[in-house]
Amino acid sequence: MKRLKKQFSLFSAIVDAFVEPPETIRYPFEPLNLPDVIRGALVLDTEKCSGCGLCVRNCPADALELDNKSRDEFRLIHYPARCAYCGQCEDSCRSGAIYHTNQLVKPITDPETCVVILHDKRG
Amino acid sequence: MSKISIPIGPQHPLLKEPLSMMVDISGERVLGASLRLGYVHRGIERLAQTRTYTQNVHLIERICGICSHIHTTTYCQAVEAVLGVEIPLRASYLRALMCELERVHSHLLWLGILAKHIGLDTIFMHAWHDRESVLDVMEEISGGRVLHAANQIGGVRFDIDHDHDSMIRSALKKLHEQVAGLLDVIENEPALIARTKGVAPVSPEVIKKYCVVGPMARASGVNVDMRRENPIPPYDQLDFSVVTHPDGDAWSRTYVRVEEIRVSLNLCESILEQLPEGPVNIRVPRRVPAGEVIIRSEAPRGELFYYLRSDGTDKPARLKVRTPTLAALSLLPEQLSAIHVADIPVVLAGVDLCVACADR
Amino acid sequence: MIEGLFYLLLFPGLVFQVVCGLGFEWVDRKLLALFQRRVGPPWYQPLADMIKLFGKEDLLPTQANDLIASLLPLISLSAVLTAGLYVPIAGFSPFSFEGDLIVILFLMSVPTLSYYLAGILSIGIYSVLGGGRSLLQYFSYEVPFLIALSGPAVAAGSWSVEGIMNAQFSLGSFILFQPLGFLLALIGLIGKLKRDPLDIPSAKSEVIGGSLTEYTGAKLAFWHLVMNVQAVVGIFLMINLFLGWTKFHNPAIALAVFVLEVLLITGVLSTTSAVFARLRIDQLAGFGWRILVPLSIAQLTFVILMGA
Repeated sequence: MKRLKKQFSLFSAIVDAFVEPPETIRYPFEPLNLPDVIRGALVLDTEKCSGCGLCVRNCPADALELDNKSRDEFRLIHYPARCAYCGQCEDSCRSGAIYHTNQLVKPITDPETCVVILHDKRG
Repeated sequence: MSKISIPIGPQHPLLKEPLSMMVDISGERVLGASLRLGYVHRGIERLAQTRTYTQNVHLIERICGICSHIHTTTYCQAVEAVLGVEIPLRASYLRALMCELERVHSHLLWLGILAKHIGLDTIFMHAWHDRESVLDVMEEISGGRVLHAANQIGGVRFDIDHDHDSMIRSALKKLHEQVAGLLDVIENEPALIARTKGVAPVSPEVIKKYCVVGPMARASGVNVDMRRENPIPPYDQLDFSVVTHPDGDAWSRTYVRVEEIRVSLNLCESILEQLPEGPVNIRVPRRVPAGEVIIRSEAPRGELFYYLRSDGTDKPARLKVRTPTLAALSLLPEQLSAIHVADIPVVLAGVDLCVACADR
Repeated sequence: MIEGLFYLLLFPGLVFQVVCGLGFEWVDRKLLALFQRRVGPPWYQPLADMIKLFGKEDLLPTQANDLIASLLPLISLSAVLTAGLYVPIAGFSPFSFEGDLIVILFLMSVPTLSYYLAGILSIGIYSVLGGGRSLLQYFSYEVPFLIALSGPAVAAGSWSVEGIMNAQFSLGSFILFQPLGFLLALIGLIGKLKRDPLDIPSAKSEVIGGSLTEYTGAKLAFWHLVMNVQAVVGIFLMINLFLGWTKFHNPAIALAVFVLEVLLITGVLSTTSAVFARLRIDQLAGFGWRILVPLSIAQLTFVILMGA
């Protein structure tokens, strides 16, 4: 009898699945519960950024660019289409100025949004 | 009957990654096969020589879409060995935790693909449903479902607290039950046994001749596991069994992999139990002194081999990666002969191909 | 005249059967999805798929004959639609005559042969393989299927589907006396419809799309329709032959019982496709000739002896 029951273990599995509600999350009709640690959109705290360029040096995808004339005059440019969302910039930043939020990044279709100037500090 | 050649790949419903095979068949019998590789060659080894060690961590992670964590772990271990630094014990435990979770998710994914190939879509969906809970755990602790970016040279980037601990434990408990159910099906479902038992058996001699590693070797009775033979902390302090099966056919590969899921789940539990306190990473210098090192570790598919040579700059002079799939691929033409056409998917699935790993 | 056209085009002809076919596909897909912890398609999905396919480009290999490739699905569709006319629906059967069971069975085997021809004539390695497999499968399931379906006919002493259905009022449902026959007929039906676990001719991982690999656009849509209508006709036939009790004076009760029985058989079909792995073609041939055929002959002998 036990052996026969084991033969139908898949049958009991589908009965269980039939009784329980489906596991699908109907995004975007339902909200997604994302953990805080998810590496989503990149933001920069302009107050804290000192323009040291550590994030630019370590970025594996060359998605960050520092356009600097001097220590006080610089622009930090982010290319979201290149970004791998690996979190290395967040890791490299000594002052905690650049970090990922857990906001999902939408696909980029507009050429205007391919270049994001995170920080513009020029005279 | 006359001989005809059917192409399998580069694009075929059977293959998730591009790989080309010409299979000679006569009626429903397969006579032989020839293989072509290199469709996903991205030149990662060469590219690694032009980037810094820090950047390479994220490059190496993209070699494989399934076993990404074990690649970065092995790479970081190689760099740390050349640097001569010892990472904190907590970091190595956390690395091992991710490796074991990754093994669970890789084997569940594989089970789903096998089931899909033999027309058992229900197992496919149920196995992937169970896999989803592993991915959720990984997402919760590292921030990525597949690309975790969990490693850095000198340790790991994430840490787990009490909430994570209880969340992982409850997920592991649930997975234990689900995997027991899957094992029940694999051992008893008559149609699945009829399709996989006795299909393309491989003897231990052939396994050793072709240097096949991992679950495929263990399913043929070759008792080899890098976690035991080349113990890098914390595996030297953990107690686990190596699953083997003597038959070497598609069914024993299924059995070995599903049993390995259980072993990995138990390992995760003991890692959580023994997890020491302390920091999770240390700062390491940017430049790596000249030297070379070989590191071997156990990926979900078998032995992963990294060779690293540095010349004192901040970029590696040579990085060589040998993945377990490469050895399995060389065995493929031999396996694809004297079988039924309907067995081609079973054989291909049994190998657990990761073409992106093999081509790099 | 008007009545005849109504029967042919609306009920129980073209429109009714196509609607039933699409409905069957939806119920089947939805059930399968629920068995697999998915949500499944909305009710209009099969129709949307058809409309989409009609809008697609129609391509064929240059060596293939376009006329024959277009005719084959149409011939199959007309054959199964004609077969559907003779199957009583909730006890309603305007064209019933003595011996219509044989006509239905003959018409039901037309799609299988067209499927084979479609594979052979559309010049492609996978379609030729799939075509050969479909013929091999036909030889494996058809004999036990026919013998199993003749069980109720012998027991009722009539070769008209309506006669068999009516006989079950006095004798009781034949599924009670011939459970083995019902099982064999169900296996045969699954083989005929090329459903999982007997979807050997169209196994995606082995022969891509089987015979229909090279088909696109409207032709492929017609093929899908053929399969769905064939499933519906097969289910209606099974109900009339083995379950019965679908004719009452009150049409509402008759319809309710009929729909209930249709859903029952559909559920059984969906469940089998969810829990069984696909067989290999040699396993199917062995299973068919070594197990199913002797069983079906034993069943028929039993029925004849009981009747005598």
